[in-house]
This record gives sequence, C-alpha cells and structure tokens, in this order.
Amino acid sequence: MHNTDPAAAAPVAEPIIRVEGLAKEYRVFDKPEGLAASVRALFHRTSRVVQAVKGVDLTVGRGEFVALLGPNGAGKTTLLKLLSGIITPTRGTATVLGHVPWERADDFRRRFALVMGQRNQLWWDLPAAESFRLHQEIYRIDPARFEKTRDELVDLLGVRKLILQPVRELSLGERMKLELVAALLHEPEVLFLDEPTIGLDVVAQHTIHEFLRDVQRRRWMTVVLTTHYMKDVAALCERVVVITRGDILYDGSLAEIVDRFTTHKIVTLDFDEAPDRSVIARFGFPCEFRGPQVVLRIDRSRIADVLPGILGSAGVRDVSVEDVPLEEIVAELFRSDARAAAVAEASR
Amino acid sequence: MARYFTIFLTFARACLVRDMTFRANFILECLTSLGWMSMNLAFYLLVFTFTSEIGKGTGWSKEPFFAFVATGLIINSVVQAFFMPSAEELTEMVRTGGLDAVLVQPLDAQFLLSMHRVDFSALANGAVGVGLLAWAMSRMDYTPPAVAWLLYPLLLLCGVAILYGLVIMLAAATILMGRNQSLYDFWFYLTNFSRYPAEIYSGPWGGPLRMICTFVIPILLVVNVPARVIAQPFTGESWGSVAAAVIAAVVALVVSRVVFQRALSRYRSASS
Repeated sequence: MHNTDPAAAAPVAEPIIRVEGLAKEYRVFDKPEGLAASVRALFHRTSRVVQAVKGVDLTVGRGEFVALLGPNGAGKTTLLKLLSGIITPTRGTATVLGHVPWERADDFRRRFALVMGQRNQLWWDLPAAESFRLHQEIYRIDPARFEKTRDELVDLLGVRKLILQPVRELSLGERMKLELVAALLHEPEVLFLDEPTIGLDVVAQHTIHEFLRDVQRRRWMTVVLTTHYMKDVAALCERVVVITRGDILYDGSLAEIVDRFTTHKIVTLDFDEAPDRSVIARFGFPCEFRGPQVVLRIDRSRIADVLPGILGSAGVRDVSVEDVPLEEIVAELFRSDARAAAVAEASR
Repeated sequence: MARYFTIFLTFARACLVRDMTFRANFILECLTSLGWMSMNLAFYLLVFTFTSEIGKGTGWSKEPFFAFVATGLIINSVVQAFFMPSAEELTEMVRTGGLDAVLVQPLDAQFLLSMHRVDFSALANGAVGVGLLAWAMSRMDYTPPAVAWLLYPLLLLCGVAILYGLVIMLAAATILMGRNQSLYDFWFYLTNFSRYPAEIYSGPWGGPLRMICTFVIPILLVVNVPARVIAQPFTGESWGSVAAAVIAAVVALVVSRVVFQRALSRYRSASS
C-alpha cells in the first residue's frame, strides 16, 4: 500500500530536498547463543542483509515542516542520516539544497543542521556558551550576528541563565533547548530533527513546539522531523510521511491522513447522571460507558443524520464531536501494514 | 589554514577550561605521568651503573642515550597531548554514534576527530624532555654542527607525523570495525619499539624486526633519526636517514589520509 496525496506531495515551493529510489542496506552478522556456537562463529559467521530504506522517493519544498512517522526500525532515522550525509546509500540519488549529502561538501554542511534527541552534541563538561563559541568558529559566523542570533534564541527558549552552567548539570529538557540553540546559530536553511522531544515533560514539549513553530515561520526554514509523539506532529506539521519497513506508506497532509484512514468520528455525550444503557445501545454504534459520560464511534457519513436523534434522548448536558486521535490512526496504519507484510510473507 | 588553527586554539582553550574545572584530576594526571617517566629514567640510570654503553660500539653512551630518551619524551608528549585523547575518544564515538555530530559539521572530519581534545597534562613529560635534552647536551663531549640543530626540529616534526599517521590508521580501523577498544594497547605495543636505539635490533631475530620497523611500519625512524642527528657525529650517511624520515612522514600522512577517508565512507553509524 502506498498512498500519496498528490496535492500535499507536490511541492508548492521551490524543492529543497529531492530523493529518488534511495535505498540503504546493511549486512548484519548473526550472533549465535551459547559458548560453543560463539566459538564456531569465530570461524564461520552467518549474515543477512537488512533493508533499512527501500527505494524511497520524496520531494520537500522550501519552508515545509514535514513529519516522518513510523514504528521503531521503520527507517526514519536512517533516511535522516542519508539526507544529512552521515551515511552513504546503497542505491538511489538525493540532493539537499542542490548538494549530494554524502559528498559532505562544506558549502552544504554550513546550510543545514541536525539535532538528535538521544545524542548530546554540546561539550558535556563545559557551559553551553563555550560550545556556542566553538560553533561560531566552525561555521564562520560574523561575531555581531552570532551574538544577536544567540541572544534571540536563548531568550525565545528562556534559557539565558543556563548557558553559563556546565551542560552535565542541566536537565534533559534544558539540554535539549540548548542543543536547539546551538543547531540554529548558523541560521540553517534545512533542519533535521530526530525525536527532539523524547523523554521531555509536557511543559518542555510545549515550549519546544512554540519555539520551533516561531523560528520556522520567521526564517522560512525547511524542517524534517521524526517523532513518535503525535502532539509534535499535530502542533507543528502540515505534511506527514509515514514510513514502515523502509518504504513510504503514506505521504500527504495531516488533515488528509485523518480523512483517508478513518471511517468514523468520536462523539462524547455528557449526561446529568449515568444514562440508561439500552437507550444508547439502540442507536447501534460501538459505545463505551464512563459513568455519566458515553463515548460513541459513529460513521462519519451518518453523523448529521443520527446526532439529532441521540441529542433528543433525555438528559444530554454536553456533546463533543472529534476526529479519531492521530495516535490511533497511525497505530492502525502500522498494524495493518504489519498484517499485510505477514500475509505476503506467509504466501511466499 | 588560519581558520583551522583558530578552531584548534578554540578546542585547546575549551580543553584547558575543562582541565581547570577538574584541577585535582589534572594535577593527578601530571603526577602519574611524571612518576612513570621518573621510574623509566631511574631504570636507565641503573642500567648505566652496569655498562658504559647500550650495545658495544654503538655510540649510545650515557649522555647521548639520555638525549635519545629526551627526544622520545618530546615527540611522545606532543602526540599524547594533541592526538591520542581524540583517537581514544573515537572508539566510544563510533560505538555510540557520536561520530554523526562530527560528520555534519563543515570542517575536515579527520581534523575534527584527531584534534578536538587536548591533554595538557601530557605536555609535562615534554617539558621534562626538553630539560633532560639540555642536561645531556651540556654534558656531552661532542658539539653538534649547526645543520644538526636546524634539522632536529624538522625531524621531531617528522617523528610526530609518522606517529600521527599510525594513530589515524588505527582510528580508521575503529570506524571499520565499529569497536576497537584495544586501540590504545596496540599503540603502546607499537611505539614500545621506538623507545630504544635501532642498533639493539640485531641478530637473527633483531635484524628482520629492524627491517620491518624501519620500512613497513617506520616506527624506528621516529626517535632514532632526530636523536642520532643531535647526539651522534653528523656524517654524510646521516643525510640518508634524514631523507628516510622525511619520506616516511610524507607517506604516513598521505596513506593515513586515504585510509581514513575510505573508512569514513563506510561508516555505518549506530542505531538511535
């Protein structure tokens, strides 16, 4: 299954990232269990090829904020590593800002940044201010511009007091904010974010969302984000690319993913007191009773017809109609793809 | 080039700031290093209570030999201070994927990976080496000609370059293997051969070993050539060994560069 929303997939702005048939394969050596098998493996190792990314095609326009979604091991981070030139592909082509990433030209590397939520890029034992200064030298940032940008970024994230404190003494959320400041000091045109909010509390997540949205809009920066948090996606991205098993399963707008992959809406009814279950059940929709609250899953096409009848039933104090949560849609997408893969594997 | 020098100074400054943050650790490292060196010097002094020369007719009597030891201390302290800390850290960077952050920066990766950490405590040995050299030279009957004094710093640089090339090739092996925790051990075993005059490698076992350590892994040229230039009579034959050291240094730098670039192109990164 490969769904592409043409309207969303077609770049509306100047294409910044072009990827065609990009693939990355790894040879993985099996590590047998037990001492005897381990000794045998010293002389005869068995290996297999893992296809981390399988012939991906993708175009991203300037100023887009794209989310790469997928289960663990889907190939999201590998794709980011290919696009930032850290690793070389097995097949396929890609250009980012007109450069082939894995040629690692300095002109290219000066124009993008990569932030990995699980890796610390600041000097651990030193205050972030020292890392920023080093960054200024490496990226050849004009001193006046450097100070202006640094001050602007630290103020936006409210971390001015932290930049003189050794990084090892900071909390995870504080460190991530400073990582973002470091990454944006040279004003990159493209920003790759690999799970930037992993392990952060909701307040820190919210601050980072606000910050990224603000900076991206002001600088018209292209951002590609991998995440497992749908809150990141809902807050930041208009376009979603779903990757499973190294291939693109869906590429389209966030709104479209909801329309395309859900058949129903969630209707929540609040009663003054716990309602008569038989009254609700006669409408024939899957429902969940939570005391005075009832949650119904109603076919989207029938909402307008059935809702007046439901509201007419006695004692409805409040009603809300919502889309199925994004987490649920994406999880179902992953599950259906895994089922399809299992069927294909079985029939082989 | 000026930019790289500025960046190196920034790295060095950051490392100094870090060392000053952990002053006790810094002082302990200096003391450990000086202690180990003092034991070595005491051992050599002990040897010279039994003999007047290392190897009959080699010319390595007490003072020239201490000039040799001093030369080794200076070269090794430069390598230990400026290159080894980064190379040691590389093992962990490859294993954990920390190398990713280096590869996205607009700088030569070899420069960044081999010179981003400076261990100032290692320079303590170098300072003692300079003092020891001055002491040995002042007590020697022989006064080196001006050309020897001019060649000496150049040959020290060649020695550093040969060792740097070896460090880089070991680092490349780390990238290819994904993990190479024996890097430092291997380095120690290799450089151990360079700590003694080449003349001691003779006989049925020593001869081949000397050939290998001169022409295959030119570790014997590192200390021997500069030390011989300054502490042994400078003759026409000396030019041959000077040329060999210069060629070995150039080859080490070029080959290590090629090997390192190839290793980087095969870097797999670590899972996130």
